[in-house]
Amino acid sequence: MPRVLSRGVVVLLAAVLALFIIGPLAWLAVRAFAASWTYPDLLPDAWTLRWWSVVFSDRALGVAVQNSLFFAPITVLVSAAICLPAAYAFARFEFPGRRFFLIGVFAANSFPKMGLFVSLAALFYALNLMNTILGILVVHVLGTVVFMTWIPAAAFAAVPRSLEEAARDAGASKLRTFFSVTLPIALPGILVAAIMSFLSSFDEAQGTYLVGAPDYMTMPTQMYSLVLNYPTQVAAVFSILLAIPSVALLLAAHKHIVGGHLAEGFQIK
Amino acid sequence: MTAELEAGPAVVVRPATAAAAGRTRGLLMALPPMVLIAFFIGFPVVLAFGFSLGFTGGLNRTIALIGQNVHTAHGIVPTLSAYAEMFTNARFLGDLVVTVVVTVVSTTIVIALAVGIGLYLKFSGGLIGKVLSALAVVPLFIPVVIASWAILGFYSANGFLRSVAAQFGVDFPIWSYTLVTVVIGSVWTSLPFATLLVSSGLQAVPQAMIDAARDAGASFWRVVASVVVPMAGVPIIIATTFTAIGILGSFTVPYFTGPNSPNMLGVDMSNYFSAFNQPQQAVVIAFIVFAIASGIAAVYVWANFRSAKESGAV
Repeated sequence: MPRVLSRGVVVLLAAVLALFIIGPLAWLAVRAFAASWTYPDLLPDAWTLRWWSVVFSDRALGVAVQNSLFFAPITVLVSAAICLPAAYAFARFEFPGRRFFLIGVFAANSFPKMGLFVSLAALFYALNLMNTILGILVVHVLGTVVFMTWIPAAAFAAVPRSLEEAARDAGASKLRTFFSVTLPIALPGILVAAIMSFLSSFDEAQGTYLVGAPDYMTMPTQMYSLVLNYPTQVAAVFSILLAIPSVALLLAAHKHIVGGHLAEGFQIK
Repeated sequence: MTAELEAGPAVVVRPATAAAAGRTRGLLMALPPMVLIAFFIGFPVVLAFGFSLGFTGGLNRTIALIGQNVHTAHGIVPTLSAYAEMFTNARFLGDLVVTVVVTVVSTTIVIALAVGIGLYLKFSGGLIGKVLSALAVVPLFIPVVIASWAILGFYSANGFLRSVAAQFGVDFPIWSYTLVTVVIGSVWTSLPFATLLVSSGLQAVPQAMIDAARDAGASFWRVVASVVVPMAGVPIIIATTFTAIGILGSFTVPYFTGPNSPNMLGVDMSNYFSAFNQPQQAVVIAFIVFAIASGIAAVYVWANFRSAKESGAV
């Protein structure tokens, strides 16, 4: 009897967690198809697709979608070019300042974001980076450094040295060894880092707004004004659109992220 | 002991010449992100710190001219009057308390949930375990702006909870624009990260040790309290510090879902900078939040150092 009881409690708790996590999203998603809604009914009075055509015919919203899809991939590429060599160095070389650098990445991450953007404003004015694509890219890349160095560093460190040495013994060059042995094994970790960076860029709103608005609006910054200026249903449609790339990534990489690559990266070694 | 033992120590002793070559190459390869951080985070933060102490010359000149209510230092003697102004401001002090309380409460709930889910995965698994871990990861992929907006609607005056309660004639409280939704939103957005870290730490506890404790007659809860949680202590501490630092400096969740006043300091920073045009006060708040975050960060560094010591890397 106690076993059945405790199983019942677990199922109940799981249901509460499901309601807590999924409930708000579902409640918002239904709104995207609602013509009107009377409290306290649990479903809308009537259904419509009108709000979708409102969003698709609004030029400003279309531009925001384009901007987001432009900045996120470029951010990932730039961040990878800057950070991946460093990640390899953290995993494989002992050099002066290594520990200081690792902690520096962490310290940079623990400064409150809003405070950082406020501080950056002075420098961006001086360098003419305000309202520029480069300025927004800098803000986005800054938010990805911690993912792009730590997670790949752990992935590189987990590649067994014996495999690399075996390849070298068999006559492979250093480069060949790296591209045929080290990189393929570390790839899932790098993939997780790329996804986290993509999401961080896709999600970035405060800094983009401060640096880019009103010339360069991305989907999250557009969301700020949508919430204030449009009917709830339009914001709901836009939310669904904004969530599509993320959910696609979730389905594609769920296994690797849950598989511990993310967790591994967050321990300084 | 923890996961990194399997990964092996990150540094391996090698012959002296190779090590010397590795030193230079390693330093060169590690430099680009460090230069980026130094220039775009370190340098502005140092400038801003000077500004908060009343140094309004150099690169701070423009922002000091634009801003209102700027405290200026006399010569090279820093002034703490901007800090004094904030610490005698009743509204700021209230918001400081609110920020700390929201951070402590949210972090406690997040870690309790993460440990609970992690323990269930470790000991029972099965379908419910899979569902729990999948659920906990979902918020990672939902932009915070959307999450805040969705949570606000769910707990609002005409939201789901009140609608359901009304079906039974119950008048459920309105939680939107209160600190309750700020805590709910913070827990919602922080849960995935903490769950991933904690459950991977719990998974790494060797089954043999658990079996040994069980054989010695320890009850389930005794095993959890005396073996599993202490052995996964470092990942749990890391998850706690990251969660706390994230919530402490958060802006979007309290901005969208919280009350006008009192609210968290992330919102105050934005208000002082944009709405009140008092950049110096905004920067002062940033450094006060950073000081609290540094205290938490010290725990993180200490925990990592302890774990590196255990695995023999130091």
